[in-house]
Amino acid sequence: MKFLKVDMSQKTVTLEDVKSDYAGLGGRGLTSTMINAEVPAECDPLGPDNKLIFAPGILSGTSAVNTSRISIGAKSPLTGGIKESNVGGTVATALGRLGIAAIIVDGQAAANELFLLKIDRSGEASLVPGDEYKGMRTYALVEKLLSTYGEKNGVLCIGPAGEFQLGSASIQASDVDGRPCRAAGRGGMGAVMGAKGLKAIVVELGAKNSEALTDPEAFKTASKAIVKAIKENPFTGQILPSAGTAALLGMVNGLGAFPTRNATAGQFEGADNISGEKLAEVITERGGKTTHVGCTQCIVKCSNEYVDKNGKFVTSSLEYETLWSMGGMLGIDDLDAIATLDFLADDIGLDSINAGVALGVAMDAGHKKFGDSQAAIDMMEEIAKGSEFGKILGNGPEAVGKHFNHHRVPAVKGQSIAAYDPRGMQGNGVTFATSPMGADHTAGNLVGEYLTGALNPLEAEGQIEASRNAQIAMAALDCTGFCLLAEPALAAPGATEAFIELLNAKLGTQMGIEDYTNMGIQTLKAEKEFNRKAGLTTKDDRLPKFFYEEALSPHNKVFSIKDEDLDSIFDF
Amino acid sequence: MKIRVKLRGTLPHKFPEYDHQQGLDIDIADEASVQDLLNHLQLTDSDKCAIAIDGRIAKAEQKLKGLTSVNIFQIAHGG
Repeated sequence: MKFLKVDMSQKTVTLEDVKSDYAGLGGRGLTSTMINAEVPAECDPLGPDNKLIFAPGILSGTSAVNTSRISIGAKSPLTGGIKESNVGGTVATALGRLGIAAIIVDGQAAANELFLLKIDRSGEASLVPGDEYKGMRTYALVEKLLSTYGEKNGVLCIGPAGEFQLGSASIQASDVDGRPCRAAGRGGMGAVMGAKGLKAIVVELGAKNSEALTDPEAFKTASKAIVKAIKENPFTGQILPSAGTAALLGMVNGLGAFPTRNATAGQFEGADNISGEKLAEVITERGGKTTHVGCTQCIVKCSNEYVDKNGKFVTSSLEYETLWSMGGMLGIDDLDAIATLDFLADDIGLDSINAGVALGVAMDAGHKKFGDSQAAIDMMEEIAKGSEFGKILGNGPEAVGKHFNHHRVPAVKGQSIAAYDPRGMQGNGVTFATSPMGADHTAGNLVGEYLTGALNPLEAEGQIEASRNAQIAMAALDCTGFCLLAEPALAAPGATEAFIELLNAKLGTQMGIEDYTNMGIQTLKAEKEFNRKAGLTTKDDRLPKFFYEEALSPHNKVFSIKDEDLDSIFDF
Repeated sequence: MKIRVKLRGTLPHKFPEYDHQQGLDIDIADEASVQDLLNHLQLTDSDKCAIAIDGRIAKAEQKLKGLTSVNIFQIAHGG
């Protein structure tokens, strides 16, 4: 495997063998280990010393299904700590097939310089001047890039928010249809890319796999077992293809943990109008797609295509988190408005979660009324313009809270929570507080535990242990390139063993479950170490005060996990 | 007693006449439990159902008495 090193100061691109220190690592394990080892922890995240690393998972580029996740890591301008944000689409598989373990972007172009990184199917890579793409939104940008370089290319890119180096700026990934609608949203990775002077990475698809598997027969057998497990699991085989992640909305709202109107209530009276079931009904009536493949080699098909009343494409994919951040959090129960806001987030290059919550804080502070969808759209356009207030909004909820001197800011380490109120799902609050990533639902989500009745979401008991286990499991999974949404299928008898067999057959290792778990632990340790060096302390592992003080309806609960218990979570 | 049932996830597919706005109106014994309701609707373990009552996941033996409506979900995981 090779590292593709891009020096934006010198404008050089070099291919190097992977150093032995990083052998066998992939995805989040690779980005976090390398950042901890090579990035000065106190550096300016938007300066030349930060490194922006794009690492496909260990299994990306193989024939295994649902392995198209790419981890994007750097020191975060939003949290001040380490960050990994992963995304699907087509690029991870393309890089994996080229034998590229990571693209490492270092240095910084001069102000106002902008470049593309172009990689062809033979692995030749070069920096191309990109002045003509300055200021472009992502849909127009990707259309132009695919017209220039051909449709059989995958794109990772930034929009205006990334060029403005805003804390909520995402890196957008093109899906299998060539739309930049998948987002590495969290942590402001788009701002780091913008600060480097890199507008897009364009990777030609279709390279032949350059990396031989150590044991092709074992890999094939294990792959079949994973396909079977995904198809037979009711969640991955039926619910996700039918309703997507939006299926969660009715459930979380039903349990009173759906943060509504900037987390002032736990149930949204308009939930039935924006639920997964309603979404599927509207899409079907209008001739859109409730089942859609967004990422290479995906068999779950949780994506959708939302269309307007005339059947015209609006956005893909409308997901649970955005139905919340642009819906319930803003008091908006109009699917058309939420779909427009989702499209704008992708087009401007913004994390729809952080951006939505920033609008929610502005509404809570009295800037606009909850439920005013046109005001929400106008605020998104303000971000795209780069006006002074637009930049405040685009820097996320904490910046908005400071601007309005408003204390109700649902964020940890500067990053907004996701669609689970910590008072209604205490363990998710533990994850939000303690994850080295800042508040991040993908770092360790316990909603499945609550729905099965295995854990009481309202009581403190058991939450620390459950969050710890989930955070370790997610950190390990994020190393592999395997999709989080296919992961529940690994609970089937023999499926986890088959999954580890995939890794062994790829790498030539003899890992067991304990070794796989250890991959997650080592990744978390590297992340905690980097954050400590960057100056983050246990005081940063806390939820905002209002979660401890304001009881949430309908259960009238506050967040009740003790500080000393939060501080013990990573005692390993 | 009469109880209105709202079905989530793929559960409505099992009831061709199901109306998302109205749900299903069921006649069930006054002493019926959560499990009795699932049996009445012929929903089994493989359907991975969960019922929330008063914002909490109900146990199989919990009685439905006094309720006018319930939501039946399918167990899902986060993403």
